[in-house]
Amino acid sequence: MARVGSKNGSLTGSKVRAPSFKSLISRIVFLHIIAVAVVAIFLPLVLFWLLNSEIDQLHRAAMRAQAETLAERIVVRPDGRVTFNLPDSLRGLYSEAYGRYQYDIRDDDGRLLFSSHRKTGDVASDTISGAEVTQTIDGTTVHIRVGEDLSHRDVITDDIVSNFFRRVGWITIPILLILLAIDIFIFRRAIAPLWRASEQASNIGPARTDIRLPTEQIPREIVPLVTAVNLALDRLEDGFRVQRQFTADAAHQLRTPLAILRTRIETLGDGTVRQLLHDDIESMSRIVVQLLEIAELDTLVLDPGETADLRAVCAEVVGAIAPFAIAQHKDIALKGAEAPVLIHGNSEMLQRAVFNLAENAIKFTEKETSVDVEVGDDGSVRVRDCGPGVAEEERELIFQRFWRRDRQRSDGAGLGLSIVRGVADDHAATVAVDNLPGGGAEFTLRFRLADKAVSAPA
Amino acid sequence: MRLLIVEDNAELSRLVANGLAGAGYESDIVASTEEAREAVHNVSYAAMILDLGLPDGDGLSVLRELRRQMEPLPVLVLTARGGVQDRVNGLRSGADDYLAKPFAMEELVARLEAILRRPGQLLGRSLRLANLVYDTESRQIFVDDKPRIISSRETSVLEILLRRQGRVVPKKNVEDHIFGLEGEVASNAVEVYVSRLRKQLTEHGAKVVIHTVRGVGYMMAEEK
Repeated sequence: MARVGSKNGSLTGSKVRAPSFKSLISRIVFLHIIAVAVVAIFLPLVLFWLLNSEIDQLHRAAMRAQAETLAERIVVRPDGRVTFNLPDSLRGLYSEAYGRYQYDIRDDDGRLLFSSHRKTGDVASDTISGAEVTQTIDGTTVHIRVGEDLSHRDVITDDIVSNFFRRVGWITIPILLILLAIDIFIFRRAIAPLWRASEQASNIGPARTDIRLPTEQIPREIVPLVTAVNLALDRLEDGFRVQRQFTADAAHQLRTPLAILRTRIETLGDGTVRQLLHDDIESMSRIVVQLLEIAELDTLVLDPGETADLRAVCAEVVGAIAPFAIAQHKDIALKGAEAPVLIHGNSEMLQRAVFNLAENAIKFTEKETSVDVEVGDDGSVRVRDCGPGVAEEERELIFQRFWRRDRQRSDGAGLGLSIVRGVADDHAATVAVDNLPGGGAEFTLRFRLADKAVSAPA
Repeated sequence: MRLLIVEDNAELSRLVANGLAGAGYESDIVASTEEAREAVHNVSYAAMILDLGLPDGDGLSVLRELRRQMEPLPVLVLTARGGVQDRVNGLRSGADDYLAKPFAMEELVARLEAILRRPGQLLGRSLRLANLVYDTESRQIFVDDKPRIISSRETSVLEILLRRQGRVVPKKNVEDHIFGLEGEVASNAVEVYVSRLRKQLTEHGAKVVIHTVRGVGYMMAEEK
């Protein structure tokens, strides 16, 4: 698994060049921030440009109006001479002393006819912006150019332009940030049903294949995905059910032929062969029972309110398995708590777990030694044997299905401890194994104590 | 005394019938719920061995019907179904005992005899283990067919252990059996009686042994 994972990792790592975001929200926030940054830079620039061009427009229109006023004062005499009579009221405006407005009037050939200033040169220089009007008065074409010295420009217009960023432009940035925050909020709300659906999905497992994802409140764009997942789960559940049913059926079907075989063997005359065959049938029957137990465990749904008396469970198991131990010249004893120990769990399942532990211990304990089953007031069961113990590196392996230390042994399929682990998992309990100082193994099951005040019998 | 075997697998029912014949019981074999109803109606059987998965229905339906008619016929359910729920259902439906396939013929006979020995049932009086025989009515004990005297309380212990020979009898049950509802009983009283019984059995030469399963109870078995 780990190898596959790292392989995938390097594969995606080399393919993806841009920063990849696992979260949809962070991806959106990232792209949104880029968009906000771009807009925050360009929007003020565009506004600034528009403002400037609008001001220029206004300015040009004013200059044109002035040029037209000046044009009205141009008279072309019958001899072709052009006269220009600037009224006194306007003279001040164009005076060099005032220095703000200037005009040039040229004929069609570009010769300067009249000017407000004495210096030679164009009205339209760097700092002077203006407009030109061409008029034909009595057949003579004149070009009137009026300019304004921008260094003396209207103070208000000047202020608006120069203070644009400080006074107006900044507002775009907070507006964009607020929009960003609102977007994140909206998006989080929109995907909240998806979070709920994933929470639901996290409960799905081999023991709970009946759960389906909710389609209510899921955004319409995602509904096809959710529906497809649900349909996939339907197919998986079918597969699982067929599989489980097969295990259960197969085990059931084996029982009658085994019963026939066993009974037939028992009718044979006494002898070693008969005993050997009988033992084979015995262990095979046990495997069939364990397979059924596993199939049942896989479908088990525990009632969370169910409680069981752990001491009674262990007493039952020790009583049931004692004849088996005694037949092998081994001993088994129940120790620990005298009073009931109430825990959360199903008695039958607990019996199976303790039975399999005890059976395993009897199998490995030496002849003429004892297996102890000890019930603790804290909801624990310890099963101790006088066998070879469990090596450190095998302590996980032994709980796997079909694992056997000694493959030569024919007395079991390596299912017992996997059943113990299965029952423990279903009960949110733990199972651990340790070696005893004096030799032998100790298996410890720890269950959750039930609230005595509520469920203890009077 | 006749037994009825309800089992659809012909091979298995034949073998079970042979096994029972070996233990001294005659039996009839039927293979469906319909035949079972008819047989029970016509013949008075001592007990019925009932398989649950039958071709024309569930064996439990026959059992429920019998119990509704207040028919006390002892029923030992024999089945390939071994699940928890199945066992609970079987016993709730009125089965006297429940044995999952595959079973040992020995155990089938033992369980059957345990049912038959219950008060009011046909198989009577004597309990047997190795060379030890106990007559439940006269409360007499025989070793190698010779009568022996064992004191009263020890005889009670012997009886309950013999009734459930090969199985562990919880200490509490032994206690209740000896003292009934006598009230306060010394905590080591049962141990005392069991050890006295052991001694007396040894003295009389009975080839049986009482195993102590510490923390649980006692089991009587043949000496090996």
